[in-house]
Parts: sequence; structure tokens; C-alpha cells
Amino acid sequence: MRRKSGLVLLALAVFFAALSPLLRWYAFPRLAKVPANQYQDMVLEAKDATLLDYGTMTAKKVSKVTIVQTLKGDVEASEKIEKTAGRDVVVWDGLSYVQGPDGKMVSKIPERYIFDAHTQEPVHATGEMVDGTPVKREGIEFKWPFLVEKRDYEYFDAQARVTAPIHYKGTRDFRGVSVYYFEQTIPWTKVPFPRTMPVEGITPETVAATGTTRWYTTVRKFWVEPVTGAPVYGEEIHQEELRGGTLLGGREKVTAFAGHVKMREDYIESTVDLVKSQRVLVLLMTSYLPWGFLSLGVLLLALALYLEARGRRPADPVPAETSAPEPVTA
Amino acid sequence: MRALIAAAAGLALAFALVLTLTAVGTPTGKTSPKPMLTTVPSHP
Repeated sequence: MRRKSGLVLLALAVFFAALSPLLRWYAFPRLAKVPANQYQDMVLEAKDATLLDYGTMTAKKVSKVTIVQTLKGDVEASEKIEKTAGRDVVVWDGLSYVQGPDGKMVSKIPERYIFDAHTQEPVHATGEMVDGTPVKREGIEFKWPFLVEKRDYEYFDAQARVTAPIHYKGTRDFRGVSVYYFEQTIPWTKVPFPRTMPVEGITPETVAATGTTRWYTTVRKFWVEPVTGAPVYGEEIHQEELRGGTLLGGREKVTAFAGHVKMREDYIESTVDLVKSQRVLVLLMTSYLPWGFLSLGVLLLALALYLEARGRRPADPVPAETSAPEPVTA
Repeated sequence: MRALIAAAAGLALAFALVLTLTAVGTPTGKTSPKPMLTTVPSHP
């Protein structure tokens, strides 16, 4: 019986010891992925910003500019692309809706971002676009891969439609969460006008006909939780100018927008809470369960060996049987 | 010999479990019916 228990314990010990690396290096890379049906919204604000008044074509100080950003996973589109791509794909439709202090639309830029659900590498397929213009992204956008490394990454800038390095600048503490801080600077770059302009009747084509061009620069900052790869906070020091052309009435340039864009406080809190809970799930597969299973395997192996050793110990000598003397008959 | 068989059984079971888990994968769900926002939400 003892020998049978030892064998069962040995089988369990091998089971748990083998499960540990299999879970970490086989199951985790295949199971950890961005869900295809994710829906997320975010509100960012630029207080005391500068905004162009299209009526007078002059820059004005405003109390607040609000950016509402929505990301919505298109499950049907991702399943369609997966058939040809042969891997798990996420299709995110994004909308950046910018609103002035009066509640009126300043700009709205849709985009479609297609990427590998596990690695977050871009996947190129029909429909990938920014503001209706087809693009071919390189690098990441919105989210870092799981298990972020302390290095620079390539990050896609949707305004300029270019990929540039986003630099790792150190580890910080953000509201009790250990995060990696990244920063990217996009120098002054000529960018297209948004397809939807804030004034009715004005189109990118009519503006382009005046010879006026749109320029943009930004310093993008992200505080990224390294286990999930999810940014818990973001800021942008964003500037836009219109330059040259007849639209400016002889002026060389005019500020279209300038502001320090930050996440709204309630969204910071909810993002930190969400990332904290997701972090535990990832840690379960990368750390808690693998180490737990390995320890359990070692413990069960030790117990199996102990039982085996006890089973093999020589038994106490059996006392010699004394038989009653048979009666002697003469 | 019995010990070897027990160890092999444990190993096979671990592989079977992990391979099944990864083959089943995670459900994809459906596209959210919520709209792309063009108004400022009052809370997350």
C-alpha cells in the first residue's frame, strides 16, 4: 500500500514539476492576448490651451480642450483577417474626437489599427488607415506588449503617420504601481489636414488650394505597467500651426492648437484599478502558478522518496517460533 | 520500472492538460454594441 502511494506521489510530482515550465513558456505566450472584443474610452483634457478661431483665423486662449478617445474591437473583421494571416489578430477602430470649451467639434480623426493579439506587432491588411488614408504601421500604438522590456520601442504616430523611437527613461512609481516611463518627441512635421474640418464648407482640399499647410510637434509621455504592457497614464505636450498661404493674410504662421494634454482624473483612477486587476492575471501565469507548481512538485517528490525509503527498510527480525515438544512414546 | 511508468504518466498528463488548454484557447466574444463617442462621458 505504501509503495503504491509512493508511485502516485511520484506521478503527481512529475506532473506539477512539468506543468511549471509548460505554463510559463508554452501556455502563456499562446493564451495571453488582447481580447478581440475590447471596448475602451478615455477622456483627456488640455487646460488653458490655445485654439484657432476659424472665424477670425487668430489663435485664442481657451479654458479647456477635451479629447474623447474610443477604441472598439471589431470581432468579425479580426476573424476575417485571421483566416489569411494565420494568427490571432485584433482590429481596433479608434476615434479621437476633439471638442472645444463651447462643446463644438474641433476635429475628429478615425483610425483602424490591426495587430497581433499576442505580440502587439502590426498586421498589414486592407482597412488599416488613419483618417481614411491607408497606412502601413510599423511599431506599436496605444499598448505595449506583455512583459515590457527596459528598452526603446518603435511607436507609430497617427498624426504624422510616421514611426519613431519611444525612449525608455526609467522605472517610476505611479500611484502605488511600479511603471516604466517612456517618452517620444516628434519634431515639427508637416501633416495633412483632418478630413472633417470644424467649419462647414471648409474641406482639406479648399484649404490646400490656399497654399496653407499644417504642422505639428509633440512630446508624448507614457507610464506603462510592465507586466500587462498597458499604459496607466499618458500626457502630450502638443502644438499645431498653420503656415503660409493666403489663408493667413500675410502672416507667416498661426497656432492652431497648443496645450498640455493630460488624462482626466477619474479615468486615471479607473485605468489604474483595471491594470492592477489585469496584472494579477498575467502574474498568475508567469510567476505565481509556475513557482507554486514547481515547489509543489519538489515537495511531492521528497514525500515520494521518503515513502519509498521507508518501504525498503528491512523489517524487524521475526521471533523464532517455538513448537511444543511432541509427546514421546516408548 | 514502476517508478518510470509513474513519472511518464505524470509527464504525459501535464502535456495533455497544457495542450488542451492552449487548443481550446480563450473565447473571442462579440463586437461591443456601444458607439464611438462624440460627447464627453461624465464618468468612465
